[in-house]
Amino acid sequence: MAAALKLVALLLLLLLLPLRAAEPSAEPTASAAGPEAPPETRAAAQAPPPVTDVAKLCVCDLLVAQCDVNCCCDPDCSAADFSLFTTCSVPIVTGDSRLCSQKAAIYSLDVEANPPERIFKLIDQVNPSVFCIHATNYKQALSFSPAEMPTSENFDQLLKRFGSATFSAEPDSWNMNTDAQNPSDANDTYRYEYGVPIQTVDAFLRLPSPVVSSWCSDANPAGFLVNQATKCTRSVSVEECGNIQAVSMLFYINSSILAVPRSSQMVNIQVQSIVVQSLNGMRTLLNGSDVVRLPMILDELCINIVLGVSYHITYTDAGEIIEAAAAFVLGAINKEALSIQQSFEISFTQVNTTPVPLSGNPGYVVGLPLRAGFWPQGSGIIQNTNRYSQLTILQSTSNQDCLAAQGARTPVLFGYNMVSGCKLRITAAMKCQPLTQILLDLLKGQSFPEYVASFGNSQAQDVLDWVPITHLRTSEQSSCQIPVALEIEVKWTKYGSLVNPQAKIVNVTATITTTTLKQLPSGRERTIPITSSVVFTDISSPAEPGYKAWPTINVKLPFDFFFPFV
Amino acid sequence: LSSVPLQILLYVNGIYYSFYFLATLAMIIYKSQVFSYPDDFLAPDLALLFVMAILEVLRLYLGSKGNLTEEEAPLGLSLVITVGSVILSVYFLVWQTYVLKADVILNAVLLVTYGLESALKVVAVAAFV
Repeated sequence: MAAALKLVALLLLLLLLPLRAAEPSAEPTASAAGPEAPPETRAAAQAPPPVTDVAKLCVCDLLVAQCDVNCCCDPDCSAADFSLFTTCSVPIVTGDSRLCSQKAAIYSLDVEANPPERIFKLIDQVNPSVFCIHATNYKQALSFSPAEMPTSENFDQLLKRFGSATFSAEPDSWNMNTDAQNPSDANDTYRYEYGVPIQTVDAFLRLPSPVVSSWCSDANPAGFLVNQATKCTRSVSVEECGNIQAVSMLFYINSSILAVPRSSQMVNIQVQSIVVQSLNGMRTLLNGSDVVRLPMILDELCINIVLGVSYHITYTDAGEIIEAAAAFVLGAINKEALSIQQSFEISFTQVNTTPVPLSGNPGYVVGLPLRAGFWPQGSGIIQNTNRYSQLTILQSTSNQDCLAAQGARTPVLFGYNMVSGCKLRITAAMKCQPLTQILLDLLKGQSFPEYVASFGNSQAQDVLDWVPITHLRTSEQSSCQIPVALEIEVKWTKYGSLVNPQAKIVNVTATITTTTLKQLPSGRERTIPITSSVVFTDISSPAEPGYKAWPTINVKLPFDFFFPFV
Repeated sequence: LSSVPLQILLYVNGIYYSFYFLATLAMIIYKSQVFSYPDDFLAPDLALLFVMAILEVLRLYLGSKGNLTEEEAPLGLSLVITVGSVILSVYFLVWQTYVLKADVILNAVLLVTYGLESALKVVAVAAFV
């Protein structure tokens, strides 16, 4: 019996050994995934080896050799850097959490200590679930499989498996033979729609633009009603003066534009004006500019080279082009010039209208200038014709001297808070009153408007749509007050539907802060800073939900409901 | 005389094994849904589980018959089949594709049961001879 018991004990021991041997193999097999780089390493790029050591993995370490803020695992941070952190953006880095036991690196900040220090702990995290992975004999189970590196052998096979078209070679509208595809449209009248390329006799109206690099590509068609301005570089040389097509005027006005797509009505491109630019940049407008000037060699210079074209297309509201004009800037190049920069522009105007640029329709668009003006008695609002000069603030110059600023102003753009300033040197000889006037002119500019449009498309004749500018002056009661700061605060609100709220200006306040000018002893001078700022504040109240009224129960009993008793 | 502890153990083993079979099958289905379990790893695991079930039925029948009829031949055969069952249980404990903690527990209990049973069978064979 005792021998039998000993036999049982031995058997049990033998059986339990494999259980213990299972433990070491329970290490995450992720660490074995390291040297899984594909064997074909023939000079082709390899994926970098995966980092699986929990203590070395740091997702927030984005800057190389620099300390990332609030990144407690960043090895580039020193103890001094850690004392400035507020929290740890990555508190714990663990391996696969489905394993029964995995290594975890815990980073935390000890804010009690002075100075705060980072605590780094490497622990074994245990997954309490009974379905945690104790071991796995399938090596690729716990990590992503590395992708196959394309080499010359497997490229075709990979292309067949994964390749598909991303871009089509040509857009459909380039194909001129579309008559066969749309027989039903044969009798419809065509017209241009927004974005449709403008067709000319042979192809499309070209607006050369830079594609990938800054070199001009002539394959960019101009879209109908798409106002565009492009600049690109063209390579030229004096020897090729007459041969380069793209620098001659003819290239741009040669082909006539079709009035409507696929018709035979043609509109010739007129030469509206020619400006000649000399080698040192001076531009002169030529009189009688109907003649086409071709490039030619004169005194070792190649003149009449197109430096800029500006197309103006007039259209009707039926989508038909009725007029086209081009204004040219011609220049000259000398022997050393290898390339020139050409600029192209196209703008569209509807017939019998004059375009008025709006700052939004109806709400203001961020980045467009505020519309402002004056309201003399008896008429509508009068505005400056230049939309960028209607409401302006002082512009900071590089030398920061107020009096040398020469009236440089910058427009106030909607939504852009701005601060600008300059320094004023006061000597003892300056008197209070003239100085006050000079500073007011400096801060407010020559014609500070009185009314600002509340919507981007407010009409000048609707005076009620315009908001008056409120002036505030903070001043102390003392002898000489000079204005040193102008702050324009524009309060705006969201107006209209919740889905597409429009910006509406509600209030504009201009606050002038003054300070006392102390008398200086003669010979001394002081520098005071002058600032002006614009602040846009959103005062829209949050949307309130509107609920339907509770349904009421409308019950009326018939009058003889309680018959026998009533 | 038939060994009563052995008979009890065989009976308990039968019940436990049914539970074990259903649990392991359910867990393999769970693993195939939650983890990446390619077909050429899933097939051997399932096949071995069914083989183990067949062996177990055979083993328990032979053991019970041998014990009750007090013959050593079926008991000896049952002991031999136990070796196969032990190897399969060790496979599910160590060499399975995914070994969960629940697998470890189930197989450990099964192995302990097999060990006890084998000991009792040996004693019974010694008594019958």
